[in-house]
Amino acid sequence: MTSNRTFQVFLGLYISIFFLYLFGPLIIMSVTAFNSTEFPSITPWECFSFRWFNEGKIAYDGQRLAGLAADRDLHVGLITSLFIALGVVTLSVPIGMSAAIVLTQVHSKLRTLFYSMSIMPVLFPGVVIGISTVVLWDRIATIGGEGIISELGRNGIFLTILGQTCFISTYCFLIFVARLQRFDTTQEEAALDLGASQTQVFMKIMIPYLMPAIGSSAVIAFLASFENYNTTVFSILSEQTLTTVIATKVRLGISPAISALAFVIICMTLIAAVLYEFFRRRQEKRKALESAAKMYKEISSDRLKEDIKKAFILPKSIFVILFIFLMAILGWQQIIKNNLYGGDCIAKAEDAKKSNFADQLKLLQNNAESLESEGGDGGTGSTNEYNDIFGDPNLFKNFGGFDN
Amino acid sequence: MGGFFKKNGSIISTFFLIAITFWLIFLILIPQLYMLDLSFRPNLPPLLRGGPDDVYTLTHYKHFVFGSETSKDAYNYVDIGVFVDTIGTAILVTIINLCFCYPIAFYIAKLATPNATRLLILALIIPFWINELLRSFAIRILFAGEGVINNLLLEMGLLDAAVNFIALDVALYTGLTYAYILLMIFPLYNALETLDTNQLEAAKDLGSSTLRTHWRIVIPHAKAGIASGSTMVFMLTAGALATPVVLSSPNTFWFTQLIYQWFNMNDNWSRGSAYSIILLVVSVAFVLLMMRIFRVTIGEVVR
Amino acid sequence: MSADVELQGVSIAFGDFYAAKNVNVKIEAGEFFSFLGPSGCGKTTLLRAVSGFLEPSEGKVLIGGQNMSGIGPNKRPTSLIFQNLALFPLMSVADNIAFSLEVRGVSKQARRKRADELLDLVALNGQGDKKVHELSGGQKQRVAIARALAVEPEVLLLDEPLSALDLKLRQKMRTELRAIQQRVGITFIYITHDQGEALTMSDRVGVMNDGQLEQVGSCYEVYQAPSTPFVATFVGENNAFSGKVEKVSKGIAKVNVEGTSFSGSIGKTTVGDPHPVGVGDDVFIFVRPESLSLAKGTKAPKNKFSADIETIEFEGNLKNIYLKSSKNKSTRFSVPSVFDTSDLIPGSTIELSFSAESAIVLPSGPLALD
Repeated sequence: MTSNRTFQVFLGLYISIFFLYLFGPLIIMSVTAFNSTEFPSITPWECFSFRWFNEGKIAYDGQRLAGLAADRDLHVGLITSLFIALGVVTLSVPIGMSAAIVLTQVHSKLRTLFYSMSIMPVLFPGVVIGISTVVLWDRIATIGGEGIISELGRNGIFLTILGQTCFISTYCFLIFVARLQRFDTTQEEAALDLGASQTQVFMKIMIPYLMPAIGSSAVIAFLASFENYNTTVFSILSEQTLTTVIATKVRLGISPAISALAFVIICMTLIAAVLYEFFRRRQEKRKALESAAKMYKEISSDRLKEDIKKAFILPKSIFVILFIFLMAILGWQQIIKNNLYGGDCIAKAEDAKKSNFADQLKLLQNNAESLESEGGDGGTGSTNEYNDIFGDPNLFKNFGGFDN
Repeated sequence: MGGFFKKNGSIISTFFLIAITFWLIFLILIPQLYMLDLSFRPNLPPLLRGGPDDVYTLTHYKHFVFGSETSKDAYNYVDIGVFVDTIGTAILVTIINLCFCYPIAFYIAKLATPNATRLLILALIIPFWINELLRSFAIRILFAGEGVINNLLLEMGLLDAAVNFIALDVALYTGLTYAYILLMIFPLYNALETLDTNQLEAAKDLGSSTLRTHWRIVIPHAKAGIASGSTMVFMLTAGALATPVVLSSPNTFWFTQLIYQWFNMNDNWSRGSAYSIILLVVSVAFVLLMMRIFRVTIGEVVR
Repeated sequence: MSADVELQGVSIAFGDFYAAKNVNVKIEAGEFFSFLGPSGCGKTTLLRAVSGFLEPSEGKVLIGGQNMSGIGPNKRPTSLIFQNLALFPLMSVADNIAFSLEVRGVSKQARRKRADELLDLVALNGQGDKKVHELSGGQKQRVAIARALAVEPEVLLLDEPLSALDLKLRQKMRTELRAIQQRVGITFIYITHDQGEALTMSDRVGVMNDGQLEQVGSCYEVYQAPSTPFVATFVGENNAFSGKVEKVSKGIAKVNVEGTSFSGSIGKTTVGDPHPVGVGDDVFIFVRPESLSLAKGTKAPKNKFSADIETIEFEGNLKNIYLKSSKNKSTRFSVPSVFDTSDLIPGSTIELSFSAESAIVLPSGPLALD
């Protein structure tokens, strides 16, 4: 009995740690988006601010730290990413569907070969797919001379769509294969027997049956394309997508604007997840009601009838929502009371920093010098690209108002 | 072929054939073959390609093993070191992930109530849809010199000075483990879910200890899931680029970063291709090894 | 409109395996014809050849006198009702029924009108807007029938459509199917392994075994005058005694079964002539359980044998008494339920006899497996 109890406690602890590991970093990152400091952090909490969602700020060393709303690169990258994702969806969903349907029709030997080839792209590292697409199309463009082919072969957006389609088609393929495994082929035969042509069978029987798979593979393809980096970074050439913009930003400087972006994405994901769960539950409930109604009709027992007319019960989740809402109000009040929000707070923090700036600059220079002497013996020599100032924690030690 | 056209009708058949040929031949086969070809050719400016200098050569593979001709070392210690580090770390990350995920997958598949299972799975999926770069960024915030962990430890008085987690690669390893953890959980979960709970009860009834039950019944049942999860995690870790870009220290290189350098910084496409081929060969070899060890088909590995 | 269906020397091979071997039969227009046989005997394969999903390896299928080779299932004047019905789960009942009209480009109103007519025909008035999964098993059955009739086929093919239903519903649907067939007046070709279904509904039955058509005839013929041992044992219950012919005269053969002589009438071949049975031939003599009677010790010197009672089984209208004797591994003897069987105790020995007219002698051959 006691061992069972210990096991339960241990298991609970383990699961908590696991989910803490999973969500902790994301939660902390989200919180840092609201801290007004230049460095995304929690513990020296300066002011509660939305600046990283809006215009950002210009640091006193002249570096411009753009917020979400003011970042043009990000906007351009976002539009390119959306465009590429749409392109990938329109290509990879039909490809995956065709391959999955044909897989059901080929015979055993060819089937294994075909299946292995179709899933190969998932086993290729993303960078390999990106590189192979680029080198091939560069060659095609060179041979193609001056024309549309040459234009296409050197167009990063086009190449990225092709490169991503290569492996995202496999994701779609696998979704369709799973759906087709449960397909009752006599439906096709029945339609044929009733006089439908092969094309009609496909349009009126197959496509409607595959509709859920088409939907989910489109969503998966869109998301996979949208967040792809490994392939895109090679195939995009001179263009920029959202992920390459983020990568550049992260490499050049670790700014809370990225936390803000992450927060927005996390919120969208959460909303999507909650909506999904909500609709799924509602559908389940409707199904349960339907079968209850069937019983109600078939069995005219008063006892059963009573069961169906249940009183309206508030869903439990409403308490969770209320609780979160309440906590938010209380937290907000605390922030206002302690003057941690608004122009006053930020102005005060700026003043404090400015007064220390001269001292800090000196310290900074000392640090930089010591770093140089340290960094001399490190690495392969060609690492300068990654050897940016943010690799060293000391550099930012004195920013961010530690004396708050 | 005639049967194929008869079954689908000419319009649909043509559509299928075009789509599949386009994919298998033009997107999968030809690019990889061309890259393979390029990896055996010298790095020439575009104008000289196809000219007399464009001959097959092993120079890029030799460079990987022996280093540049001007180098004094017998072997290319730097590149081989990066390669070994990458593969070794990827294997380590895979093993850590497997150990870390197995209890969770087992709990979700066998011990949790159906409602809890659904919620937990949803909770697992949510972080997965957040960009890998951003997830790595979150880890970076935690581990940076001015980061949350350092500040916390300093304030608690456990540390006198900030620890450079990035330089120590702690951040990189944590980030890599974090990045693909879900690709380990889901195959494991799917495999364990099909295990008949009665088998566990029967084992318990026959006096088997929990550990023995897992060793003799649960793990053999989950072998396809273990193979699948391990393969996916290894492949993605070894081929990762986003996480190392964000989290690797200036002194540490990931093999993909090396490829990136040859390709984009030094404009040596054929050497980049050669290094890509090396990575590809190792990846495929790992898949084959897993298939051999766990005696599973490729269809069971990729689901 | 109704058409006849003729199979001329139809063989269907899958590699080395012959699912149907040289099948010849002519099914008349407007007839209710059943193919009866155990599972795996090739009857479904034959049906698929008629509907056009399979091309015969040899021989021809003619419908209404026209050779159907090279004509796809969507071009043949046949409709098939599948074993699992194959209703389209994503469509409403009315859309299911009117699917064949939809693919022929019939207008929406006309489709709806026809669907309603057909729903009336199968007694499902006003259920057209329901989803398929909202229907009960019997209702689904009717929708499948209505859907198949919507194109006004000349031949309706049914592949064990009743097998998924429970006993009561199955019996009800038999009557209904027969009634519908008589109302629409088209050829029905029905496939079943259930002899009850075949015998109650059909005008004629073709009994199949191992890819071959063993006997074609009216229900009465295949039951009363089987022409092969397989038909004798597959259609209805039969007690088989194997022995050697001692004497043949006037259509009656005397057969030695383990030392005892039994007399029986010689069965007819598929063509209708008596089997050419000669002295010394290995034969079976078949006696139906209901043709046996208690010998009660006294008269009836012929066709008498004794056996030990093993069990007595009550089956509603009948009582089945299972016996064991040296002549036959297990003999079944059926009497009406009203018959007093209080003196028949398991373990005791009784004497049974049968008349030579009620027994049939057929040349040795494979029996249907129990």
